[in-house]
Amino acid sequence: MSAVMGRSEKGRHAARKTPRGTLFALVTHTIRSCSRGIVIWGAALGLYSAAMVASFTTIEGAADQLNQLMQAYPKGMMEAFGITNLADPANYVNSQVFGFAPLALAFFPIMALAGSIAGAEERGTIDVLLGNPLPRWQLVIGNFVAVALSLLAIAGIVGLLTWGTAALMDVELSVKQVADAVLNLWPICVLSGALALLCSAFSHRRGLAIAIPAFLIFGMYLLDTIGRASDDLEDLRPYSVFYYYGSAIEHGIDWAHFGGITLVALALVLLAVLAFQRRDIYT
Amino acid sequence: MSVAIETEGLSKRYGRKAPGIEDVNLVVAPGEVFGFLGPNGAGKTTTIRTLLGFLKPTGGSATVFGLDIRRDSVEIRARVGNLPGEFALEDRMTGEGLLKYFARLRGVKDLGYAHELAERLGADLRRPMRRLSRGNKQKIGLVQAMFHRPPLLILDEPTGGLDPLVQEEFLDIIEETQAEGRTVFFSSHNLAEVERVCDRVGIIRGGKLVAVETTDTLVDKSFRHVRLTFEEPVDGESFGALPGVEDLKSDGTKVSFTLYDNLDVVIKQAARHRLVNMEYDRPSLEEVFLTYYGNHKNGEGA
Repeated sequence: MSAVMGRSEKGRHAARKTPRGTLFALVTHTIRSCSRGIVIWGAALGLYSAAMVASFTTIEGAADQLNQLMQAYPKGMMEAFGITNLADPANYVNSQVFGFAPLALAFFPIMALAGSIAGAEERGTIDVLLGNPLPRWQLVIGNFVAVALSLLAIAGIVGLLTWGTAALMDVELSVKQVADAVLNLWPICVLSGALALLCSAFSHRRGLAIAIPAFLIFGMYLLDTIGRASDDLEDLRPYSVFYYYGSAIEHGIDWAHFGGITLVALALVLLAVLAFQRRDIYT
Repeated sequence: MSVAIETEGLSKRYGRKAPGIEDVNLVVAPGEVFGFLGPNGAGKTTTIRTLLGFLKPTGGSATVFGLDIRRDSVEIRARVGNLPGEFALEDRMTGEGLLKYFARLRGVKDLGYAHELAERLGADLRRPMRRLSRGNKQKIGLVQAMFHRPPLLILDEPTGGLDPLVQEEFLDIIEETQAEGRTVFFSSHNLAEVERVCDRVGIIRGGKLVAVETTDTLVDKSFRHVRLTFEEPVDGESFGALPGVEDLKSDGTKVSFTLYDNLDVVIKQAARHRLVNMEYDRPSLEEVFLTYYGNHKNGEGA
């Protein structure tokens, strides 16, 4: 019988164009699927942040005494938690919220992207979806883009609640400070999601695709936090992504670090595409 | 004209203990309704998933409408409507939402045919998937496979979970699909539905395609289960001695056996007594396999 046909010959048999716009359809659908998560994560983190901003007004008058009290604590411990001056609302909010917020928020992209491939295999939904003319690379990229955009939406909600509370309570936090703080959450979260996506693309198990990036991100957080307090671990801090995080609410975004982390995340996504292209899909 | 499906030595091995499929050579003509039959684990789903690019073949080659399954998987899936054997749909989505999403992925503007199919099959498109029974999910699975009128339908156990009336409607749709010149490739355990709609059948066992026959040939090969009830006790051995009669069971007025041939002789023997009832049943497809294609263990693996 016939061997594989040339491109021109193919068109005569059951001609049907491969549709365009599949990536856009996938991204919009995935964002819609994430909408509940966006609201929950945005509200949870945003309300916590708003509560911390509001609590600043209660300690504002006693900040000098608190700073004196804090001086009695080991210097390493103060550095570990990013506390330099509690009378400064930016430093206070950073130490209470944005210092660990990327660690907490990282679980949103980890859960979402671990579920995008390995999770879809476990649930049995992937065969129906990929029964459509959707290239595998688009499934990887589309989910990543959707989750990256969802993270921006969460950051927006957190930012609005934080800045809104600051404005209402007369806490001195500018729009730019808050915008920098919430935008700076994005690279680490995107990197965490990219790790989960890579694991999801390699393995067929969602649990593994959650556990590995969660373990790595938490490990890097501990390394950086303890490294600030311990001279022995100080040299290892550059191996943690949190070393490059900084305090954007106080010093603005370090765009070199922002771009560097984002580039690493994109490299992991590229690896995920290559891994998923080559492997079998199981349900 | 190019064939709809063509495989040459197509193989997929999972490992030593699960051989998958081996050296499958198959040709399905355009416009044909082809039944793909085999016991559970014989390799039907592996073959289908390899054709669709979900599994990477470890040997051989295959084309769908002349398109290579390794290189042109996306173009193949643009021409194929697929119903997987084991599938789930997103819990929170409604059938309507799923069809709109898939219509966007396929560039389909008009959902008129989708709604017509849903109405004919009685699919509930308004409720979220998590609230639907298995049968209703299967109906939505069928609609999403067929709504874009693909040149080739690949359906893995399409009638599983459907009630008899819906099965009948589905078979009508398959016949209409064929009348439009489109091709259908489906796997099934249901001999009656295969007999009704399939032009030819391929039989796979232990990962190997052991036969490709016309449906008539397959049905002719089948034996029948016969149960006779007489008004008075009869000598069952008189039936056991007839050619083509096996597995005889006799209990006074009731005689049952498996008949491979010579129905005429059996009827004449039964007519010597006053017959109260006669049941003459087709075997299940599984039984046909067990009889004609070896023991069941050989069929396991994929």
